[in-house]
Amino acid sequence: MKTIEAINVSKLFRLRHTGTPTLKSRFVDTIKRRRGSEDFWALRNINFSAEAGETIGVIGPNGCGKTTLLSIIASTMAPTTGRVITRGRLASLLELGAGFHPDLTGRENIFLNGAIMGIPRRTIEEKFDSIVAFSGLDHFIETPIKFYSSGMVVRLGFSVAIEVNPDILLVDEVLAVGDQAFQKKSSRRIQRMKEAGKTLLVASHDMGTIRRFCDRVIHLQNGEIDEQGVPAGVVDNYIQSAQELPDGLGKIAGWGTMEAVIRGVKFRGSGGNGKPAYRTGDDFSVEIEYFAARKIENPVFGYAVHTHDFQLCSGSNTQIDRCPIEAIEGPGLMKLSLESLPLLRGHYLLSLSIHSQDHNINYHRQDYTYPFDVVSSTDRTGIVDATSRWDFRPGGEKGPGSQG
Amino acid sequence: MNRILEIIKWKDLIRNLVLKNLRIRYKGSVLGFLWTMINPMFMMLIYFIFLRLLRIAIDLPSLLVGILAWQYFVMCLSDSVNAITAHPSLIKRTSFPRLVFPLSMVLANLINFLLSLIVLVLFLSGYSLFFGYTITLGLPLILLPGVIILQTALVLGFGSFFACCNVYFKDTEHIMSILLLAWFFLTPIMYPLEKVRESAGQFFNLYLLNPMVPVVTLYRWVFLGIAPPTSPLFYLSCLLPFLILFAGVTFFLKKELYFADEM
Repeated sequence: MKTIEAINVSKLFRLRHTGTPTLKSRFVDTIKRRRGSEDFWALRNINFSAEAGETIGVIGPNGCGKTTLLSIIASTMAPTTGRVITRGRLASLLELGAGFHPDLTGRENIFLNGAIMGIPRRTIEEKFDSIVAFSGLDHFIETPIKFYSSGMVVRLGFSVAIEVNPDILLVDEVLAVGDQAFQKKSSRRIQRMKEAGKTLLVASHDMGTIRRFCDRVIHLQNGEIDEQGVPAGVVDNYIQSAQELPDGLGKIAGWGTMEAVIRGVKFRGSGGNGKPAYRTGDDFSVEIEYFAARKIENPVFGYAVHTHDFQLCSGSNTQIDRCPIEAIEGPGLMKLSLESLPLLRGHYLLSLSIHSQDHNINYHRQDYTYPFDVVSSTDRTGIVDATSRWDFRPGGEKGPGSQG
Repeated sequence: MNRILEIIKWKDLIRNLVLKNLRIRYKGSVLGFLWTMINPMFMMLIYFIFLRLLRIAIDLPSLLVGILAWQYFVMCLSDSVNAITAHPSLIKRTSFPRLVFPLSMVLANLINFLLSLIVLVLFLSGYSLFFGYTITLGLPLILLPGVIILQTALVLGFGSFFACCNVYFKDTEHIMSILLLAWFFLTPIMYPLEKVRESAGQFFNLYLLNPMVPVVTLYRWVFLGIAPPTSPLFYLSCLLPFLILFAGVTFFLKKELYFADEM
């Protein structure tokens, strides 16, 4: 059964240059025969459908129309042309706890949030205990949520949305909510929803999430569907297309405030064109070309290497490695070197980032963006090349290393 | 029409928003919800004292009836401008019918109004007991629910309209306060309707276009037994609120689809 059907959906925005319209601005615009607005097609002729049990990823650079598409499916926005048909109860995690009021307690907010989603009070009463249990906030449920931490608020919102058992769940960049334990719990829950035949639509910049969760991926580019298909193919093409255009901020892969961006990355010491390849034990180095649009003090450059199935092999940053950077401004180069690469043969993914010291601001993150291969001459298995040696001593004869 | 009926499905949300509205207004105050009663009580007392001290020749009961009806109207209209614009996150992230906002705002104010009417009845009985004021409560009293429905239709119609306007025109908020001031003097609150009829001549018909005229006049009929004018035009003007409700809601339903684009 088709649970979501988007037919020829287009969305036109009128971008105003003067902020919110007032009588004066309209008047002045009329007098000066100036149009205070500009037309902008956020989406053009989007056609797709989702089956029950399918998880669909939506990827694309900032401003490509991901959020607009999700908003139209959630029917918070009306399409300019075309239509969207959804079947079943829809819950969206576009903004968790959108209907929460800071002065009301957790309990009151659960009921308010449920009502906003159009769920009968009876149902919420029945689910109340499991909502609270899932959120893990039973001690705070009678406390006004203005005293909650932001993580707690998000957890409560997530719990309401997921416990009411929607048929369609829209997720925008929030799979990573709460602490590690909560993230694990919510991932498991989303997995269970998939198995129960629910439809999930996930918009994310995190290619790892997309590869892990999705059955199909839609790549949006300038409001149009660039490609849709299996995750591996579409994600790889997206990453490559994003890299082909090193100038112009909107076309760089990754996400962040983009105040400082990674403009280009060159793998050193790897042979030739195509996917970089290294040998186990090679010196691995990467030249990162960055550009800071404004002066950024104390930035931190970070990297991580994952296996192709997203196990973290190694990660560090300039803070950990004691390479403090006072400030960056304009263009520059940063070189990352890993001496004698201790990885065994396999496909790996390099992530790069520029963020603030407290990790609160991500200027630019490129998660799992750069694939590279490692070949090794040894037949050792695993990920890490532990240079193992064996010492064989039959008969218990004392070796040179032992005391005696 | 379907979209209007659909709103019944959202009664839980409406109830929630109304309660939230009422709860938050008095949150943290010691007397809490009692203020909805204390406020009109003191207002009436203060009018009583000062009208006596200053020897102003205004009929106190009919002034108070007018003021209470006017307060319900003013609260709704001044709340209406923010009914939509105060909830950008809800508008952008949720999809329930937007009519829920003006409706719950009006209902919250209606509850306050009903409570102030209780105070009014108590005050009027005391007043007639101690000051020999004769109040002819009679047959018209059964019309009270009808008059309240009439005014509620009116404020809902205007409320939806102005809530919508403020999304597209931020100036609505500021125009509103001026508009309400002029409107106050165009409504028979400080003066009896009879006075206008005597002095306005042919402009009286124009005056009747103010839908608050029949509302206030009917309340006075209900509570004080002051009969409304017998002109057919007056009865016609009693239909104005429903016309405004229809126009306001139709306009709102047409525009609500694009609220999210404007926030």
